[in-house]
Order: sequence, then structure tokens, then C-alpha cells
Amino acid sequence: MTSFVESQERRDLRAAVFQLGSRYGESYFYSAAARGAKTTELWGEAAKAGYLGVSIPEEYGGGGGDIGDLAAVVEELATAGCPLLLLVVSPAIVGTIIARSGTDEQRRRWLPGLATGEARYAFGITEPDAGSNSHQIITRARRDGDDWILNGRKTYISGVDEAGHVLVVGRTEDARTGKLKPALFMVPTGAAGFEYQPIETGLVSPEKQFSLFFDDVRLPADALVGREDAGLDQLFAGLNPERIMAASQATGTARWALRKAVDYAGQRKVWDTPIGAHQAIAHPLAQIHVEVEAARLLTQKAAALDAAGDLLAAGEAANMAKYAAAEAACKAVDQAIQTHGGNGLATEYGLVQALANVRLSRIAPVSREMALNFIAQFSLKLPRSY
Amino acid sequence: MNIVVLVKQVPDSGAERTLSADFSVDRASSSNVINEMDEYAIEEALKIKEAHGGEVTVLTVGPAGATDSIRKALSMGPDKAVHVQDDALHGSCAVATSKVLAAALRTLSPDLILSGAESTDGRVQVVPHMLAELLGVAALTGARKLTVDGSQLTVERQTDEGYEVVTAATPAIVSVWDTINEPRYPSFKGIMAAKKKPVQALTLGDLGISGDEVGFAGATSQVLEFNKRPARTGGAKVVDEGNGGEQLVSYLASEKFV
Repeated sequence: MTSFVESQERRDLRAAVFQLGSRYGESYFYSAAARGAKTTELWGEAAKAGYLGVSIPEEYGGGGGDIGDLAAVVEELATAGCPLLLLVVSPAIVGTIIARSGTDEQRRRWLPGLATGEARYAFGITEPDAGSNSHQIITRARRDGDDWILNGRKTYISGVDEAGHVLVVGRTEDARTGKLKPALFMVPTGAAGFEYQPIETGLVSPEKQFSLFFDDVRLPADALVGREDAGLDQLFAGLNPERIMAASQATGTARWALRKAVDYAGQRKVWDTPIGAHQAIAHPLAQIHVEVEAARLLTQKAAALDAAGDLLAAGEAANMAKYAAAEAACKAVDQAIQTHGGNGLATEYGLVQALANVRLSRIAPVSREMALNFIAQFSLKLPRSY
Repeated sequence: MNIVVLVKQVPDSGAERTLSADFSVDRASSSNVINEMDEYAIEEALKIKEAHGGEVTVLTVGPAGATDSIRKALSMGPDKAVHVQDDALHGSCAVATSKVLAAALRTLSPDLILSGAESTDGRVQVVPHMLAELLGVAALTGARKLTVDGSQLTVERQTDEGYEVVTAATPAIVSVWDTINEPRYPSFKGIMAAKKKPVQALTLGDLGISGDEVGFAGATSQVLEFNKRPARTGGAKVVDEGNGGEQLVSYLASEKFV
């Protein structure tokens, strides 16, 4: 994006993805969630059209686009009522980290599956005792001959039951100096000593959350992605896309909720005019529209900076975008429910199911508070408290 | 096989549509899309190319704004496009449109011409037949299935009662219904490639057609007035007095659902 309007190709991509997503819609998404089913059909069709691999380099079978293209895909699917959480994780975080930091051999091994959408990889960073403070990560790997032995725990990891591997953020054992030296490992979900258990949540989604337990999990030498001492750069390569994608999923969900509210307000009559004519209904929706568009613009800016390789500036914009998008999404779903009155709480209208999902966007992948801490310290140069 | 697909840009049939002051289709106040049935024709052309090789060309007659639909069509996979654009075309009837399409088709010498069986704006369903007449080729219209065996075409032609099997040798024109296939979504690579594909622009002059043969001036029919579609009325009500099932089935049969 070199202007305030996305390229024609990006807009065409949006239109095509939205058309596909609309054939499924929220009824498909939430009925799959209610049945305990997955979004296999939608994932398959989107993969076939190449939408899931847009950001994977062409030489590995991907579309050769950037994170902005993938963000457009996740946003349009969410706008159609299908917020696919695994897109944030699998092609965006794992795909970007491997594409940017992996060895040639690792790229050849892991990226083609992401390009076709056939492979799905989860990403494990959060730990019970190291939530937002990733410096406290204790999952560790030690050498045993050429192999690695992994021990530790992870929590609130998405989609592990659907993934072939989890990209696990750990530390190498001799680097336990307190300073974060992340080392990233591709761990097969079927590995001996690796167990995962679902976490019961109030989220209505086909994609589930898991606790992970690693008990002397033996990994081959090449399970380590990139370099052992790659430091924060390798991790940050994946975190900008994560935030851009989370922001896009939130703005998509906000647009979806806003559209439902507008459609309802335009038709529902209590007295003589549709309720959308009343300013008490119209103004909050107009205000949310402004906030959603502002969040989208910030998100597109973050994506453009990331694609241009300015990761530091992209990080700042991505945090702001994620904050703004989550706030807009929470407001949009809340106001859409309010606009619907009692119907807003009926599962038939699909809005009440989205409540916890948009609430999640305020907490993950980085909490509102941590995003604001970052902006206070990085953008405003305020002193830090921790 | 050299395949040309006729693609028309029409107002979105899902939105409110109307006619302009001059009784032509109003294209300004609604969003314009590829005529839905033409997407099935594109899909069929791409499937034939994938199975038998060849080239697929999109042919559109329409105003400047039709380039959006041409790009969308190309993003599905065709190789190139021809866009006949001329201000004098505004208000053309089916006969004049067919004359222009036929002239453009002669420059392309296709083995197979594919089109949707009707457009969602005009819905007259006559252009494929008129083209067959003007070009002197066979018309296999209203296809729900098309099989290509060398130069031999076999079509299952959908009718109200069932279907007819009709055959012809190429060159021929085949118009298709939406029962024939499931059109693909434009792939990401297709979208990225679409803008780089060649689109040949042709004017009436290029085709040797004068302005007074087309448009309102050359129209063989004239719209005198139009009315809004009547509001929907309540459907038939079946009251079960012991024979509800029979009534229901006879209603469904009268609507050809069973």
C-alpha cells in the first residue's frame, strides 16, 4: 500500500474471499462450534483457491504476497461471519517465522504445506507462570547428543487438536540467565512425552484452547528453527503478523456485527419508522463505523510497514492497530446486540455467540494493557513500571 | 481448442435495479457484476481447456466500466480478453448486439463459443441463437452438460420436461445454465495475474460497423413504458382437511418441483 487505498489486486482478493465466506457465514461457523465440528469445508475451499497461502513465498508454492494479503483474507472471512483463528497462528505466525528465520531445508520442509493449506501448525508461547512476561518462560530444551530434550508447560494454545506440529517457544538450558533467549522448536503433536488437554472456555468457536505438557520430549536436531542464539528478532518476526492478523480478525468481526445491526435497524419498526432512523440507534452505529475504519487504516499501515521490512515501526503500528481493532470489535458486537433488543441474545441471530470471541481480542494475543504499556513506553517514551 | 466466452456486465441482481430515463438498463445507480450465468460458461471453458488444451478468450461488449468484470473474469483463469467499447452502442437491442458480437467473433475464429443461457438484466435468451445464425454455426442452447470429443460436441439440453441430447461439430455456440458446473473462485495467483493479461480494445470502426446500425438509432425494438414488478403476494395456503398431502403434492407438481 503506497496510498490510502489498497491495490486493485488486494481489493479483488477481498471481494473473492468475502464471496466465498458468505456462502458459509456465521450459521455455518457457530453450528460447527455447537456440534463440536471443525470448519473443514471452508478451510478446504479457501485453501484450494490459494487464499490460505497468499503470504508464503512463491518458490514454496505460495502466493508470494505479504502479510497484508493474508490479513485481508482473515478480515474478509470474519466479515462474512467466519473468524478462523488458526489463520492467525498457522500461516501468519509460524509461516512468517519459518520463512524469515528457518534454514533452507526447514523452509522446503514446512512452507509447502502452509502454501496449500494442507498443513496446520499451532504456536505455543504462553505459560502458566509466564503470561505477558515472556522473559519468565521456563520451557527449556537441553542437548542430548544431537537431539534436544524438551520439558515444560504451555497454556491457552489454540488449535492444537487440528495441528500436525506446534512451534514451541522455549529456552535453551545453558541460556538461563534471566534474559530472554528464545529458541523455537517444531514439535510433532504426536511426539512421545507430549500431552495436551482442552481448556473449557465460554468461547463459541470450532477452534479450541489447550494446555500443553512436555515431559522429556525428544526432538531431532533440526526441530530447532533458525539459530539457537537468534534472540528476539526471530520471535518478533512472527509477532507483528500475529498482531496484524488479530487486528484484522477483530475489524472483520466488527464489520460483520455492524452490518447485522444496520440491516436490522433499517427494517425493524416499532412505531412508524425503522428504528435506524432514531439517532439513539443511528449515532452509536455511525460512531463505531468511524472507529472500525480508523482501526482498519492502522492495521493496513502496520501491514505495509511489515511488508516493507521496517519491523520496528510495524511493531508500533501493529500494537496500536490491535488495540483499536479490539476496542472497535467489542463495541460493535455490544451495540449490535443492543440494536437487536431481546433478539440480540437469541442464538438465531448469531450475535450473542460472538460476545466472548470479541472479548478475547482484547486479551490476546497481547492484552489491551500490555499494548498500551508498549505505546506509552515506545511511542511516548514514558518511564516503565516493570 | 480455441474457445471464446461471451461475458456481459450486468447490474447486481441481488440489489435494487431500475431503468434509466431513456429506458436503457440503469448501470450507474447499482453495482455492476459479471452476469452470473456467464461465470458458468467461463468455468466450462476452463474445464475444457484443462482437459483438451487450447486457449480461452473473454469477449465483452460494454461501456468502460465493464473492465472491472473483464478483470474478474480473467482472474478465474482465461488467457486474454477482447473488449468492444463504443459510445454509439448505448441502447443497442439484441439484434444489434449480436451483429457486434458476430463481427468481433469473426476476428477470433473460435472453435467453440460459450455463453450463459440468459443475462439477468435483459433475460431475452436470444443472443446465442442470433449469433449462430449470423456466423453460420450450430447452436446448442440451454446446456446442463457438455461433452467434447475431438470436434464433436454433445450437449444435454435442459427443458421444462427433462432434457434432450443434441450433438454438433465445431464450430458451434453453446449456452449454459447454472446446472452445468460449479464456478471456481478466482485464486490469489489468478487475481495477481489478471491485470497483466492482454485486453484488446475494439471500436465499431475496427469491426466495420457504422454507428447508425446499433444503439437507439439502429434498434429493432423500442421500450415504450415499464412498470415496477408487482409486490409479492401471499403464496398458496394448504389447509389440511384430510387431503392436505395431496394438495401439497399437486401444488409442488404444478410448480415442477416433483
